[in-house]
Order: sequence, then C-alpha cells, then structure tokens
Amino acid sequence: MIRHMRLLASASVLAACALGATPAFAAGTDAGTTVTNTVTLNYSVGGVSQTPVEDDDAFVVDRKIDLSVVDADTVTTQVVPGQTGAVVAFTVTNATNATLDFALSATQLDGGAGAHSNTDTFDASNLSVFVDSNANGVYDPGTDTATFIDELQEDQSVTVFVVGDIALNETNGEVAAVRLRATASEGGSVGVQGAVLTADADGNDAAVMENVFADENRDGYEEALDDYTVSAASLTLTKTSRVVWDPVNESSNPYMIPGAVVEYCIAISNADGAATATGVQITDPIPTDTTYDSGFGILTGVTISGGTCVEDGSPGGSFAGDEVTVNVGDVAGNTATGIRFRVTVD
Amino acid sequence: MKFTLFMTALLAPAAAFAANQVTLESQIQVEREVRNEDGTTRTVLEPTNKVTPGDRLLFTVSYRNVGAEAAADFVVTNPLPSAVTYVGADSPEPTVSVDGGASWGSLATLNVKQEDGTTRPAAASDVTHVRWVFNDTIPAGASGKLSFRGVVK
Repeated sequence: MIRHMRLLASASVLAACALGATPAFAAGTDAGTTVTNTVTLNYSVGGVSQTPVEDDDAFVVDRKIDLSVVDADTVTTQVVPGQTGAVVAFTVTNATNATLDFALSATQLDGGAGAHSNTDTFDASNLSVFVDSNANGVYDPGTDTATFIDELQEDQSVTVFVVGDIALNETNGEVAAVRLRATASEGGSVGVQGAVLTADADGNDAAVMENVFADENRDGYEEALDDYTVSAASLTLTKTSRVVWDPVNESSNPYMIPGAVVEYCIAISNADGAATATGVQITDPIPTDTTYDSGFGILTGVTISGGTCVEDGSPGGSFAGDEVTVNVGDVAGNTATGIRFRVTVD
Repeated sequence: MKFTLFMTALLAPAAAFAANQVTLESQIQVEREVRNEDGTTRTVLEPTNKVTPGDRLLFTVSYRNVGAEAAADFVVTNPLPSAVTYVGADSPEPTVSVDGGASWGSLATLNVKQEDGTTRPAAASDVTHVRWVFNDTIPAGASGKLSFRGVVK
C-alpha cells in the first residue's frame, strides 16, 4: 500500500512539471522586452550589517521570426471546365514573438507533384491572392479584398485564398497546383504593408531588438501547395440500330427492305470518375427516306447492357421537324442510360 | 534571525557605512548547443546578443570580499526576471521560493496553492526567487561564483 502511494505521488510531480513547462504563449516573451536580472547581497562585518550590494545584467529579447503556411482543408478543390473564381485556401500562422505583416504571393507549378498525391498538368489563369478579412473561412468577393496580411498578432492564424480561373478546354482529372508564399514583414502601421524583414548580420547588440529567423530554412518565408482538380463530365454517345420487322419475313430474321421497321438505340454513358453531367439533351434527326414510328413513340431511361439497349424504358421525349429530342437530365459518373425509337423505311 | 538582519540593512541609512566590503557581479549568458564537425554537439556560452524565446540562460553571480575583515551572514538573493523560467542550479544548491520570496526551501519541500484550494508539489517553473545563505563567513580576499539556469519564456 505504501509503495503504491509513493508511485502516485511521484507521478503527480511529473504531471505538474509538464504543465508548468508550457508557456502562456507558444511564441513566447514579446520581442523588445528588456529582461533585467538583479542580484542582492546582504552581509555583515564584525557583527554590523552592511549596506546591501546590488548588481544587475540585462538583455533585450530579440525578434524570433517564425511562421507556417499550410493547406487549409487538406483536400484538392474540385473545379469544372470554364469555372471562374475557383478558390483554394491556406492557413498562415504567425509564430513570431511579435505582431507582423506578411506579404503574399501565389505561383503556378510547372509540372511536378501537386499537394494531394497528384501531378500538376495545367495552369489556372488570373491567379490572385486575398486574405479572409471577415475570418469566416469562406472567400467573399468584394469583402475579402486585402492582398497582404496586416498586423497578425503572435500565435494568431488567418485564412488566405488563392483565386483563379479554369479554362473551358480542361478535361477530367487535370490538376493545377498553386504555391502560396507568405513572407514575414514589418508590422508597422495598420493598413500599410511593412517592409520585408531581413535577419540581422553580425555586430550583435544585447541592448537592441534584432531579427532572428527561426523558420524552417532561416529565410523568413514559408510556402505551401494546394491544387485544383478538374472534375468534368466525360460523355460517350453510341448509336446502334436493328431491323425488327419487314413486310415479307415479319419478325423472323427481317431484312432492311422498304416497309421494314428499324429500331434505334442511343446509349449515353459517363466515364468512371467523371463529374455528373447535368441537363443532358439528345437531339437526333431521323434518316431521310424513313418515317418516324409515332405508334411506338420514344422510350427513355432505357437500361444499357453490353453497350446497347435492353427492351425497357418509359415513354418520353418529343418528335418535331424530323428530329427526336429527349431531355435526359443528369448522368452520373460511371453510369449509362439509353433512349429507343423506331422508323419505317419508305 | 537572518531575516531580521536583512530588514535592518534595508531600512538603515546607507551613509552610516563605509565603502562596500564585498563586490558583486551579475552576468547572463546564453547556453547554446553547437554541432561539431563529427556530428557530436558541445555546449558553448555566448553573450546575450541574440536571445529569443526558448533560449537557455546561465545566470552567474560572482562575489569577492575585497575588505580587510571576514564577511558574515552572507546572503545572495536573486529574484527571477518575469520572462525567465527557472530550470535548476549547480552546486552550491540554492534555496528557492515559489511565492515571491515569502517562504523558502529546497524545491522538493515546497508546494503551490491551486485555484481550487488544494496544493500540488512545486515545479521548477514555479520558482520566483533563488537565494544562497552561507553558514560560514567569507574570509577577506575570498571569492566565489554562484550560478543557476533558466529558459526565456
């Protein structure tokens, strides 16, 4: 029992040490703080107390410049061809023991690895960088207009958006990676972008606040990658036909002779991994020297099997001006749907 | 008894005494790990020209009895600067305070009162003052160094 108690006691000492070792702010004592250590000596000589002796030594805490830039959401931003104002988001954190501004710039990768186990294959256009001024984590055009981070306090983070346009001709799976760089700059005045900081060279002075780069490469800036991935629909249309009846052989092994009935199948398939195609509309002019079979009509939502139509479906679509028109609606990736209609050979 | 003497010394007019019998010097240095060419590291002491949060500091107090007589009741008191967390001291081990100098002892014997009224054992980071109390007199001409370590918060 006694041994058990002792073990508990020593464990609590360790816990107290661990708690006590954590400073109030990760970035620590403010840069520019003067730390003065004063020592006092009391003594007596011949039984008489003497004047206490004092001495002190002081130094000024230097500016330990440190920051981080990370992809805010750790996933790629899905975009569609022709999209404008597509947004990727980063988080910039000031780990300096002082309030700083941060200059921002975004660049395109020229090939190479993207941010999410992918490879850069194209460039977005009209790239611009904006700070999340209202701190809601969402890019608000017209509101989030600042192009540099102003007066970011120590241990504080802010979201930064890179906004770009995607060309209409980009295809499914294409990746545009962008790199955001944040560069530590002088805090200075509110609303004014301060000068980029430089590390102080030699000629150190204990009494002056100096700049010490403590970021990863001791260069005062950090970068992170994020990327856009094009999610386009990839539709394939396959039209097949078969003779279902002729006036001589009727349904048994019919031939393409005048009076024969021909059934068309249009299969609409969207590739695996492609974005859902919406508002899909099919128009198909019927061949010359044929007559639309209005009795059969048009069947939509036909099951596709082996690339061609199964004999099902429900009535839909319309026929006007020698054209069959069907509003297919949505076709999800890795799915297919079909339409069927018939004509009579003149 | 020593505490009484200390108070008397503070209150007494300084003019009644001759020049200091004892000199005292406080020095702060930065302890840095420097990598050797063979990959090992060594610790070097630098002046406090470049100091940033997290740096390790060595506080050294040097004293010398420059008088003609022995100095008795020798007490060196060093309040910790607020931006410094106490780490520990070499020999001679000082007594410490975790309550602004009201009570003293070795760290292991001290407790800290918590918000809920309970107490917990004091940690090095709770230390507010460091103090060396000498039982022996310091002979004329004698000198010595006292030191402790801290980290910039």
